Amino acid sequence: MLIHRALALTAAAAAAALTLSACGGASTGSAASAVIPELAPDQKVDITFESYNLAQAGVWSDTINGLVSEFEKAHPNITVHAQPPQGGGAVGSNTISSVQTQLLAGHAPDVAQLTFDGLDFAATQLGAQPISDLVGKTAIDDALGGAHPFNPNAKHLADWNGKTYGIPYVFSTPVLFYNATMLAQAGVPADADLSTWDKVEAAAKAVTAKTGKPSLDISCTSIGGNWCMQGLFKSDGAQVLSDDRKTIEFGSDAAVDTVTKLSQLTKDGVLRNADPNAQYEGLPKGDTAFILTTSALQGSFMQAAAKGGWQLKAAAMPAFGSKPAVPTNSGSALFVLSQDPAKQRAGWELIKWMTSDHAYEQISTKIGYLPLRTSLTQPGGSLYDWAQKNPLIAPNLSQLDRLQPWVSYPGNSYVQVDDILGKAVEAVVYYGKDPKATMQDAQKRAQDLIK
Amino acid sequence: MAFILTSPPAPTSPPAELTRAADDAVTSSPRRAASRARSRALASLPAHVLLAILALVSVYPIYWMFVTAFRPTAEALSTNPLPGPVSLENFLQVWQQIPIGSMLASTLGMALVLAGAQLLVAVLASYGFARWSFRGKKALYLLFVGSWLVPFQVTMIPNYLLVSQLGLLNTVAGVVLPQLCSAFAVMMLRQHLESFPRELLDAAQMDGRSSWLTLWQVVVPNLRPALAALAIMLFISAWNEYLWPSLIMQKSTALIQVGIRAFLGAEGNNWGAIMAASSIACLPIFLIYIFLQRYVVDAFVRSGLK
Repeated sequence: MLIHRALALTAAAAAAALTLSACGGASTGSAASAVIPELAPDQKVDITFESYNLAQAGVWSDTINGLVSEFEKAHPNITVHAQPPQGGGAVGSNTISSVQTQLLAGHAPDVAQLTFDGLDFAATQLGAQPISDLVGKTAIDDALGGAHPFNPNAKHLADWNGKTYGIPYVFSTPVLFYNATMLAQAGVPADADLSTWDKVEAAAKAVTAKTGKPSLDISCTSIGGNWCMQGLFKSDGAQVLSDDRKTIEFGSDAAVDTVTKLSQLTKDGVLRNADPNAQYEGLPKGDTAFILTTSALQGSFMQAAAKGGWQLKAAAMPAFGSKPAVPTNSGSALFVLSQDPAKQRAGWELIKWMTSDHAYEQISTKIGYLPLRTSLTQPGGSLYDWAQKNPLIAPNLSQLDRLQPWVSYPGNSYVQVDDILGKAVEAVVYYGKDPKATMQDAQKRAQDLIK
Repeated sequence: MAFILTSPPAPTSPPAELTRAADDAVTSSPRRAASRARSRALASLPAHVLLAILALVSVYPIYWMFVTAFRPTAEALSTNPLPGPVSLENFLQVWQQIPIGSMLASTLGMALVLAGAQLLVAVLASYGFARWSFRGKKALYLLFVGSWLVPFQVTMIPNYLLVSQLGLLNTVAGVVLPQLCSAFAVMMLRQHLESFPRELLDAAQMDGRSSWLTLWQVVVPNLRPALAALAIMLFISAWNEYLWPSLIMQKSTALIQVGIRAFLGAEGNNWGAIMAASSIACLPIFLIYIFLQRYVVDAFVRSGLK
């Protein structure tokens, strides 16, 4: 009886495997023909677009609403209901959980702006649709190409297992902003070489000696700054996750070495222990002279510098000695979540619009985000004049050529893994905990969460 | 009928403090009394200083909110504790960037409806618990109390799904509906009704009033101060709601507490506008406090909250 049952199960499993492999083969082979159909000119479609930029009043929501409104005029058959994410978290911190909650209630947005840390979860759990399957790879290449194509390092940031799940939308890289006036007062030339952490520490020591207080903030070493902490690890030869995505590696010798070096900055009295909000306000208020943080803060720093009468300068993320600095990106991509072919097509049209040359002209000049179509800032490009007037974006743009992706953790507990790492880094860098023991304990706990 | 004659009660001795005070009045000189008063005042001075410091610490964030709100936007991060230079720039920005007027109106409507509904449910439930004995009364009451002990986060998602299925997302009704009953309010009113004179209820019954009429014509008028205090407390609590409205009201233009969030951003916070919007959001509560101070204090004292 048992043997019969086992045989029956084996046969069923084999049949299922054959069917699945046949399906897989068919979909691979006919990807071009299986794309979702174009909308008929009179086919009315309503879609919901969720964007965390809409949660913020002023230029953020005005710009995105303006682009959506222009899209609706250009596509009179598509109506877009633009909405911010739900929930009370900080802007950009709850994009996935918002979609998850709405998914539970059966009305997830059709297109959503999701942060890169949730890429694995979005592709494997949240139901994000592989856009490359929906519209075909050629359509994506066409959309991201053109006269001003996407930067090659930005283009595939939301690809997953060989498929494009999201189109990178807005992001920033870690930039070292500094108060050149304070440096000059401390006897450090305004154009000092700040390309390595040793040089940054020397300059910061000079400022600290003058002001009597720590002069450097690094937002990557605080909870919530893991996107750029990953860049610091990579710059020192470490990584948070193995290449096969099965092993957490932030307890490795190289990672321990990275946090040990950063903790030395605290011990030397140059790195300030402050929460992220205090860090963002430290440079504008003149409490600190340096901050390594998201390039997206450039606008508010520029306002503060103009008001305070000091000179703001920017440098690329510093390197550890002779090892090359490896910047990582923050930010988000646009994903299609709808299962309905008409809404999927309408969603793709919206994504193309929101990542077009015109959209980046609006987004970069009004909000200040990095234009991912970088050649727009070159001579002849529509953002050339803007880039000339904003020389501070130069380090940010140049870092795109060395950019590596913000790695998302596997499994459902990716937020907890990120939290474990953030707390461990803070404990070592700011509170003098033993680097090896702390990072290895964090690695073990995180590993248990991704099994 | 029998009358029993009893001797009058023996005069009790006055409390020691009174005796001492009387002695003081008779025997002490005015100078000595003044000196004693001074030393008493000196003895209580540290406590008063401590209370004054605590009051300052409590009031300072509110003072800082108004000071920052009335500064020019570019001065929002100034650490100068003195007010000025005065500017309405932040208020103008709030006015232009979020529909603050309609937000205030919606929030006021939501808070009034919520407080009113919770009060009504509390009156009916506590009257039932206090007036009648019935099988399972204790268990039912414990269920009410138990619901108060369940954290909001536990019921948040089921409630969200329910509101979604009712098609009430992004509506003030969706915010109000799952909170129509406040276990805290039921508990508080039940305590009051337990001590309500039974004779009054019996008298009302003998007068031929039904239970329903007794509630509205006898109980409620006598509970007016307690009801007013509880209503104020429920209103303040409803006005300050944030997490639940932020889940239901995805359109950030609906309620003031959610609207303030629009000035918090990944690229830094607009502190001037946040403080201006928060100042406006606080005004109704301040007005309540100014005009109904006695009831507010009463509400906190009766509830055992400090």
